[in-house]
Amino acid sequence: MDRGALRRLTPTWVANASVTVVAGKGGVGSSTVAAALALVAARQGADVLLVAVDGRPGLGPLLGGEPIGPEERVLRAFKGKGRIRGRTIPPAQAFSDYLELKGISGLLRKAASAASLDVIAAATPGLEHLLVLGKIKELDREKAADLIIVDAPPAGLAAPFLRSASALQAVVASGPIRTQADEVAAMLADPRRCQGLLVTLAEETPVNEVVELAYDLEEKIGLTLGPLVVNACWPDRPGLHMSPTAAARAQGVKLSRAAKAALDVSGEFGRQRLEGQSRQLTRLGELLPLSRVILPRVPTARFGPAELDVLADALSVEPVGAR
Amino acid sequence: MTAQPTLNDVLANSSLIVTCGPGGVGKTTTAAALAIAAARMGRRVVVVTVDPARRLADALGLDMESRAHEPHQVSEATDGTGSLSALMLDAETTFDRLITERAGDPERAAAVLANPVYRSLAGSLGGAQEYMAIERLHQLHSSGAYDLVVIDTPPSRHAIDLLEAPDRLVTFLSHPIYRVLTLPSRSFAKVTNAGSSAFLWLVRKLAGPKIVEDTIEFFRSLATMEEGLRTRAAEVSVLLRDKQTAFVLVSSPRAEAIAESTHLVNALRDGGFRLGGVVVNLVHPLPPPAEAFVDLAPGLLADHVAYHAELFALATSERSEMAELMALAKGAAEAELPLLDADIHDVAGLKALAEMLVTPSRKLSGSAAAAVP
Repeated sequence: MDRGALRRLTPTWVANASVTVVAGKGGVGSSTVAAALALVAARQGADVLLVAVDGRPGLGPLLGGEPIGPEERVLRAFKGKGRIRGRTIPPAQAFSDYLELKGISGLLRKAASAASLDVIAAATPGLEHLLVLGKIKELDREKAADLIIVDAPPAGLAAPFLRSASALQAVVASGPIRTQADEVAAMLADPRRCQGLLVTLAEETPVNEVVELAYDLEEKIGLTLGPLVVNACWPDRPGLHMSPTAAARAQGVKLSRAAKAALDVSGEFGRQRLEGQSRQLTRLGELLPLSRVILPRVPTARFGPAELDVLADALSVEPVGAR
Repeated sequence: MTAQPTLNDVLANSSLIVTCGPGGVGKTTTAAALAIAAARMGRRVVVVTVDPARRLADALGLDMESRAHEPHQVSEATDGTGSLSALMLDAETTFDRLITERAGDPERAAAVLANPVYRSLAGSLGGAQEYMAIERLHQLHSSGAYDLVVIDTPPSRHAIDLLEAPDRLVTFLSHPIYRVLTLPSRSFAKVTNAGSSAFLWLVRKLAGPKIVEDTIEFFRSLATMEEGLRTRAAEVSVLLRDKQTAFVLVSSPRAEAIAESTHLVNALRDGGFRLGGVVVNLVHPLPPPAEAFVDLAPGLLADHVAYHAELFALATSERSEMAELMALAKGAAEAELPLLDADIHDVAGLKALAEMLVTPSRKLSGSAAAAVP
């Protein structure tokens, strides 16, 4: 399936670039969003490759398949050609693939195995990240899938990961690594080849962090950003803005004492969450001029394939708010 | 059978507390609250944070770049005999300090500090930040100025990286390639080990000649410090396993965080580290169950009923995830912190959190009363 066809079947942003890097700080659910995005495209017949950089083991089962490992495997197949394949890219494997690709053999190859990648990487900081991004670039060049979705490393590592190419350009002046860094930097800055999908929560610290990350990625590496995904938002329910007693009266229902006690607790908490959420969404709009997609909070601590379907449905919309 | 320890016991009896856990669970805030709780018990406490959110940094007086990396007192934190100091970890500055201390003479130190390979290594060497966290901890612990050092660890999916950092440094220094790189230059020319010289050839071929020269120079200058670095790594390794050192795991009740935490509890046990406490943060309140409303039409009350059902399901599911972790962490003190509707941004907020951590009735109970803010 070509991307033009995919763009007609999904919201256009889904297929704007052949590689989509999904990133966010820890705990905001960016891996889950990456899996849901894969589902959005594959359900419409796209052949999707999901690359879990940090190898989050639960991602495969979440999609109904085996845990993701360095060997590519089909996690889920749909009617027609749609499928999701998953893999990790261990830096050591990316390194040996790279040497093979460059036709480096014989003594050099021997040297590479004599010195572990750890030591070589220590002499060339950021090299491991670059090797992984370089492998993704190769997969894209080979057209290994209709859409490549990259689940970037979590917590504080997303920015160093994506910046590794530009950081190496500053240290390494010549040689194949420099070429590799240049090529990766070119891919990241090309809006047809690569886009970033940032994920956050409508909470104070995640909002601050995503604003920082967005400017960092746009300014320092020229990454084009897709819509901002705001995860785990409670739906706005007008009744929660009044007390359960008042709501019951308005609806002509009499509350038992036990029901009132239960609804008072949940209602008070719910009202506070909704108010906080709306404050943070307003801040986000002021601080970051990106369109956004709002995902619902799914009421469970443990996600399974059914919950992922809910998120995929919510992702299958045109974003709101203009860029 | 001994009674279940409380966080109070852990705070009173430890000289070092290391908080660890998955990213995005409020680890730094919890570390600060633990430190305040101990200070309010009359102890002299210093808390070392890593990359705190801006408002928390402000609360701890870490807002000014000039003083953030040295301990300074947070005077509003206590009203009695104890004291709280805070500082922010800066891997690069700590690495520089280590080099300066170990280099012997200032000229050699300056040469290392100016080396471009060192400059990029200090900021980005795999595990450098973790290693520096424990290096700093060692400095503060041995200074004698504090009864308790609370150190927050960098967000790490594989938090065992921190625990392995000293050993990894030693392994690195023992690597045959490193040995060759640190030979004096004349014997270096005579090296016939094909693997090692081919390694340099490879690096030169891949990254250009300049980086090879810088790398060799850097490793040579590091060689004079090797003994000191090894000694320090060994000391820290012992300190982390001391009986007055306690690890406090901070998690959220979400399944992914619990899975990482479970992994971490096992890693601590395997490594011979003591898990002193488990704090589960960001917990949704469990409302009392509500009767079923039959045939309730959509409307304002239906909004309440639907929300109650979702919150009840979410909170129940969180409690079953937590129970799994607690079963594994048997013997450690436990505490639960509610999901608050605003971030903590002042010392008063941290004090309130400290209070929740040490109030025994706030143990993980699954009851509604324990979870309402």
